[in-house]
Amino acid sequence: MAEYEDCPSSSDVEEGDCYLSDQEDAIEESVLQGLEDRREEESHWSLSSVITKESLLAAQKEDLRKVMELFALKEQHARTLLIHYRWDVERIFELLDQKGRERLFSEAGVSNVENKILSTSPTPVMCTVCFENVIENAVTEMDCGHSFCNECWTEHFIVKINDGQSRRIRCMAPKCNAVCDEEVIRNLVSAKYPDVADRFDRFLLESYIEDNNKVKWCPSVPHCGNAIRIEGDIYCEVECTCGIQFCFNCSSEAHSPCSCLMWELWTKKCQDESETVNWITVNTKPCPKCHKPVEKNGGCNLVACICGQAFCWLCGGATGRDHTWSSISGHSCGRFKEDQAKRTERARRDLYRYMHYHNRYKAHTDSLKQESNLKETIQGKISISENKESKIKDYTWVINGLSRLFRSRRVLSYSYPFAYYMFGDELFKDEMTPQERELKQNLFEDQQQQLESNVEKLSMFLETDFQFFSDDEVMDIMRHVINLSNVVDRLCKQMYQCIENDLLYPLQRATHNIAPYKSKGLEKASELSVCWDSDQSLTSMKTSLDDHYVQWDPTQNRIGSTSHKRHCEHQLHGSSSSDDSGCSSRKRARTSSHSGASFFDLNMPAEVIDKI
Amino acid sequence: MFDVSRVQKELTECNRDKAISGVSIALYEGGSDLSHLRGTITGPVSTPYEGGTFLIDIQLPSGYPFEPPKMQFITKVWHPNISSQNGAICLDILKDQWSPALTLKTALVSLQALLSAPEPDDPQDAVVAKQYLQEYPTFVATARYWTEAFARTSVAIEEKVRRLVEMGFPEDLVKSTLDSVNGDENLALEKLCSS
Ligand SMILES: [Zn+2]
Ligand SMILES: [Zn+2]
Ligand SMILES: [Zn+2]
Ligand SMILES: [Zn+2]
Ligand SMILES: [Zn+2]
Ligand SMILES: [Zn+2]
Ligand SMILES: [Zn+2]
Repeated sequence: MAEYEDCPSSSDVEEGDCYLSDQEDAIEESVLQGLEDRREEESHWSLSSVITKESLLAAQKEDLRKVMELFALKEQHARTLLIHYRWDVERIFELLDQKGRERLFSEAGVSNVENKILSTSPTPVMCTVCFENVIENAVTEMDCGHSFCNECWTEHFIVKINDGQSRRIRCMAPKCNAVCDEEVIRNLVSAKYPDVADRFDRFLLESYIEDNNKVKWCPSVPHCGNAIRIEGDIYCEVECTCGIQFCFNCSSEAHSPCSCLMWELWTKKCQDESETVNWITVNTKPCPKCHKPVEKNGGCNLVACICGQAFCWLCGGATGRDHTWSSISGHSCGRFKEDQAKRTERARRDLYRYMHYHNRYKAHTDSLKQESNLKETIQGKISISENKESKIKDYTWVINGLSRLFRSRRVLSYSYPFAYYMFGDELFKDEMTPQERELKQNLFEDQQQQLESNVEKLSMFLETDFQFFSDDEVMDIMRHVINLSNVVDRLCKQMYQCIENDLLYPLQRATHNIAPYKSKGLEKASELSVCWDSDQSLTSMKTSLDDHYVQWDPTQNRIGSTSHKRHCEHQLHGSSSSDDSGCSSRKRARTSSHSGASFFDLNMPAEVIDKI
Repeated sequence: MFDVSRVQKELTECNRDKAISGVSIALYEGGSDLSHLRGTITGPVSTPYEGGTFLIDIQLPSGYPFEPPKMQFITKVWHPNISSQNGAICLDILKDQWSPALTLKTALVSLQALLSAPEPDDPQDAVVAKQYLQEYPTFVATARYWTEAFARTSVAIEEKVRRLVEMGFPEDLVKSTLDSVNGDENLALEKLCSS
């Protein structure tokens, strides 16, 4: 411990038992920790892969083929089945056992193809939609056995496609649940409206993303064109190849250890700062003379404006200045009521509580922004150091320390909104007794404080001008940085464990899933690998579809999409003319994040990323 | 534009057996616009709507029959699935269960069926639905009263107006004359003839 005495950082911070002074211990510790990590991460494993314009078709085909092979189905029927069951192949296999083939199919709208009876009447038939007699070859019969004239089918398909219902266009017969054969739709529609047929195909293709719980569009703005597919736990944070990190479940910025709900509430709260508005309305009243807002000070209900006017806080009426605690001279509004005072007190308390957490949250996100500027400075320091007369040649510890600093700073800043909701009344009011809450809050805040002080120390060491130091001094800083990096990593991990096991797990009603802590930072989504086997038709289909989708823009013409609306606008302006802008921006982003960021951790709030 | 020839066929087809089906369709207010029609259904027997004649405003969207027709009661009616305020109807075949192979006649017949068999679990009018479930006798009394008050007189008048107009009198004059004699058709005819 003594060795830290002379170091500038140790005077104002407590040396908790968490700060390991011995480097061997630290190494041993990290080995043990490594084992623990693996155990920990096994329960929350998620693998992410990126689906690009190029691999979307392949990804879809992969699932289609599984289902086609299992049931010996045509592709369009397999697709109908998969769309209905949200592209969850495993679920289909499960349901096959539970429901049986017949019900599994009929609920999805797949008609039993074997039952189809071919009508052979050569006479003209009456179409029951247009009431016209049509010759038989102008009539199409669906797998369900219902037939109508081609004109009517086509109109029906167009209305449904324009209505955004491409993925489940039902038969025209009343009460018939059968989904129309996509091949028939494509043929009939393209004969009359080729552009609508293209749109239909794109809707089908994108169903793999939009109707799929395991796939989400990357929320980047402007859109990078990618989607991310996840295997395993969907409560995780992912990084697209374009560099953006996001919460897979809610598509907003990575926000652990906050749950999605907490984060949603928090951002909303910060946006409207309703508390502040609330406080001002409860705590100030306009002066009856000059109309400036006047704040009440103390418990007294007689307030004075800076203009000199005294007035009654309760009714807002002007008064004389003599008063007692219960009455004001020349005035008898009789509104000295308890509840008013209580309401004011409550609003004030709520605001102070919010401000407490918000200030700390803000302080850490601000630090994160400032520290992100360190990146360049540190690069400069390293190159000076590397060129000077010294036996120290390896400075990767600085870079690693900086990454660790960003990751832990990030955790720290999001731990404040977490605490705000965990120990507030909004979400868990009746889930804990006041005693329990206090106990838990103390437990959590101890950890938070430890993390905080060690993060600050780490930050301080990294900001030293080590390039001018002697070798011994640099060695000393290195030891501090390495030790502190291990310490904050462990503290972050502990905090997540505490949240999961001690805080959230015992709660009865609430289900808050927190994306797991990633000691090494988020893994970039891997490129999707689908084996292209000898399936010739698949390859040729791919090429033809690629030609088809030159105008790739996943946000165009989407009806009823959810979180994507806001990207749409950008996208429509940005790339309505060609796909080049969309494509190249993705490629650009990808290269830069591959080369430039190989050492640099982007594990920080999106607002910070924007500014780097 | 919607399928005019189909709508024409529908009208002929529907009105051919209106005596049996109890539903009929005419152009709205005697106009010439095929997209704005007026349906008439008779209240089903042994329901609180018996004896009433209910008018329905029908608007055909341009996508008809691939899009459902818009229907709304003109006659005030007390029913869980019909708004007592504005006559809006809650019926699946007029929404997502519409099929292009259904017709205006089938839709009107479905409305008739809806009068016979309300579905209070999927209500359009919450007040009526609550009454239907909790105070059924009161519901029946109210529905019957509304039928008497709105579905009889209005239609009786409509019918009388139609008959008198068909005799060759101008519609405006027929209406004002009927008004002046409190709806007595014979008195009105006398008055019209003597004027
Ligand atoms: Zn037809
Ligand atoms: Zn069918
Ligand atoms: Zn992306
Ligand atoms: Zn989330
Ligand atoms: Zn003043
Ligand atoms: Zn006072
Ligand atoms: Zn007063």
